[in-house]
Parts: sequence; C-alpha cells; structure tokens
Amino acid sequence: MGKLFEKFPDPLARLIVVFLALLVVGVIVVVVLIPKPMKDVEIQWADAVKREQARPVKYAGFHACADCHDKLYETKKTGYHRDLSCETCHGPAKGHTENPEKVKPVIPAERTFCPQCHAYNPSRPRGFPQINPVAHNPLKACASCHNPHDPKPPTTPKECSACHGEIARMKAVSHHVQLECTTCHDAPQRHKISPRAVKPSKPQTREFCGKCHGKDAKEKLAKNAEEKLAKNAPKIDMAEHGEKYVCWQCHYPHSPEVEQ
Amino acid sequence: MNPEFIRTLHDLLPQIQGFIYPNEIEIHWGLLIVVYPYITGVVAGAFILASLVKVFNVREVQPLYRLSLLTALAYLLVAPMALVAHLGHPERFYEILLTPQTSSAMAMFGFVYAWYLMAVLLLEIWFVHRTDMIAWAEQEKGVMRFIHRTLALYSRDTGDRSVAFDHKALKVITIVGIPSAFLLHGYVGFIFGSIKANPWWSSVLIPIVFLFSAIVSGIALVILLYMVLTPLTGGKISMRCVDKAVDFLFYAVIVDFSLEFVDFIHRVYQSEEEIKILSEMVMSKLFASLVIIQVLLGMLVPLLLISLTKIFKRRFSLNEDLRKMVYFIAVILIQMGIFATRWNVVIGGQMFSKSFRGLTTYKMEFAGIEGLLFAILLLALPIIILAVLTKILPPWKEMHGEGVSEGVEVAGS
Repeated sequence: MGKLFEKFPDPLARLIVVFLALLVVGVIVVVVLIPKPMKDVEIQWADAVKREQARPVKYAGFHACADCHDKLYETKKTGYHRDLSCETCHGPAKGHTENPEKVKPVIPAERTFCPQCHAYNPSRPRGFPQINPVAHNPLKACASCHNPHDPKPPTTPKECSACHGEIARMKAVSHHVQLECTTCHDAPQRHKISPRAVKPSKPQTREFCGKCHGKDAKEKLAKNAEEKLAKNAPKIDMAEHGEKYVCWQCHYPHSPEVEQ
Repeated sequence: MNPEFIRTLHDLLPQIQGFIYPNEIEIHWGLLIVVYPYITGVVAGAFILASLVKVFNVREVQPLYRLSLLTALAYLLVAPMALVAHLGHPERFYEILLTPQTSSAMAMFGFVYAWYLMAVLLLEIWFVHRTDMIAWAEQEKGVMRFIHRTLALYSRDTGDRSVAFDHKALKVITIVGIPSAFLLHGYVGFIFGSIKANPWWSSVLIPIVFLFSAIVSGIALVILLYMVLTPLTGGKISMRCVDKAVDFLFYAVIVDFSLEFVDFIHRVYQSEEEIKILSEMVMSKLFASLVIIQVLLGMLVPLLLISLTKIFKRRFSLNEDLRKMVYFIAVILIQMGIFATRWNVVIGGQMFSKSFRGLTTYKMEFAGIEGLLFAILLLALPIIILAVLTKILPPWKEMHGEGVSEGVEVAGS
C-alpha cells in the first residue's frame, strides 16, 4: 500500500486517502443506514399508485348518462354547458348507473349552487355570465328561468326585481305591494341596456303622490284598479302637509310607514 | 371558507391595492431569500477575482488572491443557512441529499454546492496553503501547531516534486472552478428564470444578469475588505492592485448595467399584458429600491465616480487619498445596489398579482426566523467566519505585498 502511494506526489496521496475515507463513509450511509423505501423512488411511486387504485370508483363518466337520458344529452351537447360533464352538477353517478331505481343523482335546486360559477368575481374572464346572487331574482330557483341543460345567452330581464331584488322584497310587504314599479318610475328602454348611464325617473312633484293621497282624490270615481286603490289610500291636505318638500324626502315610498 | 383564515386575510387587507388572488396576500419568499442570492453572488464574484490571478495571470491583483479565496469560503459556508432556515425545518435539510431529485433545479443545489465546496474551493485553498501550513506548524506550538498539522493532512513534504504538483493542481482547479462558480450562481438565476408563471422573473437573461451582478458584488466586496483590513493589520494599501481591481469592477458593472438595461428595454418593447402592472409596481412599490438605490446609487453614481478617476487621470494619480476615497464610496454603493437588485427580484416578483390587476406590500418582520435581525446575523456571520479563517490561514503577508514576486512566479508557472 505504502509503495503504491509513493508513486503519487505527497499532497495527492494524502488527498486520495481523505477522499477515499469520505467515499467509504458516504457509501456506508447510503447503503446501510438509509432505509430502502426512503431512497427508492419506484417504491414511493408504487405506494402512491396502489393508494390511488384502492380508492372506490364513484364517477361513471358522461357517456353513461347518454344511454338513458338521450334527449337531455342531445340538448346539452349544443348548449353553453356542453363542456361540463353531467356529474359536474349531478354529482358522482356510478351508483345510479348500477341501480337506477334505488340510487338517484342529486338535482341541485338551491340558489347557492349556480353562483359557484356565475357569481360576480372580477378574475373571471370578460363576457362570462356573472350575476349578483343577492340581487338577481331573489327567492327564485335558477332553473325556474334558465334551462340548465341549454342555458341561453343572458338577456335583459323584464322584471325590475331581477336587478332590484332588495327593493322588490321590501315593496312586497309594504302598502304599495299592488303598485307596479312603472306607476311611479318611468324606465326608458335603454336603462335595460346601460343601467348606470340611463336611469329611471323619480317623481319630482308633490302633486304626483297627491294623485292618490291628496284630500280630493277620494272624490274621484274609482274606475279601474289603480283608482280603486287610490280611493282607499290615506289622505292628507296637500296645502298644509309639509308643503316645502317632495313627499319621498320624508316617506320612503317602497315601504311607506303611515297607517290609515 | 374557514372563518379564522378570513380574519387573517382581513388584517392583511390594508396592504393590498387593486384585485389580487387570496393566496397572493402573503409573500412567501421573504428577506432570507433576498440574502441567499446576495451571499452566493459574493462567493462566485470573489472566486472569479481570485481566478484573475491564477488563470488570467493578472499580476497586479495578487495581494487580493488569498483574501478573495477565504472570503469566498466564508460566504459559501453561510450560503445554505439562509435557504435551510427559510424552509422552516432546518433539522430535515439532509433529506434533500438522501432522496436526490435530478429533475429539480432546486434539489440540485445540494450537488452544485457540494461540488463547489469540496472539489473547488477547499481543494484550492488547501493547495495554496499546504507548504505554508507546514512551515507555520514547524514554528508554532500548542493548538495552532495541531490545527496546521491536521489541516495539512500531516504532510511534511516540501520537495520540488510536491510543490510542482501543488502549482499544477492549482491551475487545473481554478480552470474547473470558473465554470463551477458560474454554475453555482447561474443556477440561482436559472431557478428564477424558469418560473414561467411570473413574468418579472421569466426571462432567459436572468441567469446571466445574476451572474454578472454576482461578479460585481464579489469584486467590490473583496476590494472593500482589502481597503479596510490592510491598514488595520499594519500594511499599506497597494494602489496598483486597487486600481487594477477597480478596472475589472468597472467593466463588470458596465456589462451588468447593459444586460439589465437590455432586459428592461426588451420588456418595454414587447409590452406584453403584464407591462401595465409591472410599470405601476416599479413606479410605486419599488421606486425607492429599484430606481433610486439599484440603478441610481448602486450603478450610475459608482460608474460616474470611477469614470471621473479615469477622465481626470492626472489629477487623481497625484492624489492617492482622494482616489481611495472615491473607490471606497463606489464599492460601498455597489454593495448596496446589488443587495437592492436581489431585493427587487425576489420581493418584486411576488408583489404583483397573477391577475395583473393588483399589488401587495411586503411587511418585514423584525424578530423571528424570517426577520430583519436574523438576516443581519446571516450577513454578519461570514465576516466572523472570515475573521476566524484569517487567524488560521493568515493572508496578510500577501496582502501587504510581501512574497508577491513569489506569487507571480506561481501564477506564471
């Protein structure tokens, strides 16, 4: 051994010894001290694959639905929800395909379901249909207006309540429940397209409310439904009652608090 | 969502501007990750400076040779500490080595680091000091004698054959060391440049920019240490050496500046979708650290200062003290600038949202493992290690210009 090292220059021989010692220590650590599963990537992979394979299969895939629900399948195929699998909304359906009578898939009817995708969120792509679930047709199930298998592109709602849900709910329990929104508000067609740029009118004169609530309104002959309502409305003397102000500056018209 | 989590987010809301995703409120790579590329940069830069002597035979900077090697070693020993501390479980660091993942650039750090430390730096330092250690051990007694004997691996051979082998080995190691130093720091930039999802980082120029800023910081730091340590140890600063080193620093800063400028122009010219949020970030959140400290104080002012010494060469050559002062200010400013570069890359890259619509703020802790105090400790630690190293392997003789002629012969051999 000594003779072998004499062939090398002294510094190299010493370094070789040090490196051999390090190598031996390293090999001992790797071969003996570290347990096999810790360094064998294949074992780690195999464990992961086994773990995944052991999990029960819950989803059937959307082709399975087409066998029985062919009409719905055809409708969805061309609609805006074409890229969604049936099980995205109806949940895992493996059980249903095996036992269609006993196991029924979920039909999401609650109003919290659709907003998972369609609630307003600025990070969603531009043009993606987004609504404010609090104000958008409150209390109604989404499916009552939209066919979930073939949702149409968004159109401007006819009802004011589709956007002004809070006001609609308040008016629904107030004395003005039977009045149409258009009785007091003149809503131009363009308001439906650019709701913030073009706004509906508000009554600007005392005489407007006076048509029903003025003292002389009682005298009128009640011809139609609105006039019948006006006949029973609380009356005030327009000349004496708060003459400086427009009525809605003191009375909130969507829930007028004055009792008869 | 978990109410506890919502409460935490609520506290962080004042730091947000515009729309950002909830998982981007907290900046995960904090101050320690800023310190890490700064320290590895110094290592690579100091080694490149040392290689000027050995490979490129620049005789003037011989006094810096040993100092730069020791500086590189001192900083290299501290480099992984920032990373390992940041991971949160420092006691489990060895698992990276036990389960090597060759496909992960981050996991490859262990191998690049081990190669650089064991096969390059330690070997080079050992070969440089071997004969010296034998000589020192003969004159010493007690602990120091034991240390030098052990470090010399009980070698006593100072014969011609061994010394000639030392010189040959040194040359080979330094030549291997240059690509290794590039690899050590290039890979840090490589990791940042590979993150496609982050347009602030995702650029092929990033590894090269990192490398040149590393060379700049390393050279500047060694010059600074030389200018501080030489008078403290009773020597005289060799202006020939400093002038030459500053020359190299000057060129490195110009290359670094040009690369960063090209990167900047490229981003502006491409004007991809992220340009708006990036320009807003640069003009608001990073204005002080990027425009003022990195570009103005860290690059333009030092370039101007060094240029002045070159333009008014005659006037400056007459007044050594003035030149020293100008160099001193320039290298300190460059250190600040390079630290700011690291800060702007690491923190800046996490400040803007992937939605490109909002910015967040980095709030630095003071105490704690990610805090300012720990970072200062990490930055001070290499200096302490260097102090110990200079006790064991004193570079003073060379720094004071004694034995330089011998060194030159070594370099030329």
